[in-house]
Amino acid sequence: MNGPNTDNTKAPVALEPIAMVALDAGRMLMEAGGSAQSVDEIVIKVAQGLGAERVDLRIGYASLAITIGIGDAGITRMRKVGHLGVNQRMEQAVQHLAVQVGKGGMTPAETRAALDCLWLATPRHSPAVMAVAVGLACAAFGRLLGMDWVAAGPVFVASAIGQYVRRELATRHVNVFIGATVVSFLSSTLGGLGARWAGSQTVATAMIASILLLVPGVPSLNAQNDILEGRPTLGSARAVWVAVLLIFVTAGLWLGQVLIEEGR
Amino acid sequence: MNIDLARLLHQTACGAIAAAGFGVLFNIGYRSLLWCAASGALALAVRTLCLDCGWSLEAASFAAALAVGSGVQVLRARTDISQTALDVAGCIPMVPGSFAAKGILGLFALTAPNPSGATETLITAVEYTLRVTFTIGAIGTGLAIPTLLLRVRVAR
Repeated sequence: MNGPNTDNTKAPVALEPIAMVALDAGRMLMEAGGSAQSVDEIVIKVAQGLGAERVDLRIGYASLAITIGIGDAGITRMRKVGHLGVNQRMEQAVQHLAVQVGKGGMTPAETRAALDCLWLATPRHSPAVMAVAVGLACAAFGRLLGMDWVAAGPVFVASAIGQYVRRELATRHVNVFIGATVVSFLSSTLGGLGARWAGSQTVATAMIASILLLVPGVPSLNAQNDILEGRPTLGSARAVWVAVLLIFVTAGLWLGQVLIEEGR
Repeated sequence: MNIDLARLLHQTACGAIAAAGFGVLFNIGYRSLLWCAASGALALAVRTLCLDCGWSLEAASFAAALAVGSGVQVLRARTDISQTALDVAGCIPMVPGSFAAKGILGLFALTAPNPSGATETLITAVEYTLRVTFTIGAIGTGLAIPTLLLRVRVAR
């Protein structure tokens, strides 16, 4: 491992910050919901903009590994990737920064400072706005599934509460699958009870509409895209995550249905 | 072909609201939410028209996703909006969530100690699961084709 021909031990100092900054840009993009293709493009753009002549990237589900080289020197580094969420404005900000870095003229330290700033500077919608938006989306979704109008109000309230609880659980770092079951149970129960109280004839559909906030749309599309773009390992890992999440979501719905049936 | 205009408008409006709502969840900026709504409206309008023409849900979803994917590619050349977020926000109202839940619940029901009508339940659960799989596959493929054919590189 430390033989005379391995360049990992005596890499030029300049390569280390380039590799780590490029990996951090890729990590942030992945955690914001970027596809593997866009992560690949951004990491290469950042590394080359900082002076790397050769860049090879391996994208895993939970880690990124990069090999960069300048002249005869080269290093390989790896970076852990956190929970894969969806944050479009962060994705956009990282892409803008990468374009800027790709033009040249920025140092690794300046790029790192700019990346660190993105965490603080990128705005997010407030929890209340997100809850209302999700409530409206689920009520509209319910109508598309054939739910009657009287159930729309209860579904709006149930899914808005579900979204608020989901956000609270996420900030407390509750396991994402457990959180999905809890939110699914809570929202479906509230939606079902509310729809029944309102005199709806489509209580079962209302219960399903109340949990549609948990549909993992971006990961499932990324999974298909990754497979189609020649990354079956990453795509399969995402697909398995989606399948397991759906099972946990359905478990919460099933518990809600059992409770409502028992209480009838 | 029988087009129910009131139903078409209803589906289009609901698609737009659902897509914009999910756009907020994806942290899309307020200005870009209009594009999300347009994307969802286009998806549901195309799907409803195709269903009215007698197409299957899977074929109609494929056509709608193809329309959204093409529209997003054209739009992406002129705006900053993330392609994945816009694709997903537009197509998420077409996800057959009801079928998915019914399919998995049907499989749960089979695990009861003495399930009544087990064969019928199994067939129904498998039917729902297959429809979900094919519909999601159709949506993914419909979105991927324009992306793979007309990809606009990030380097602009």
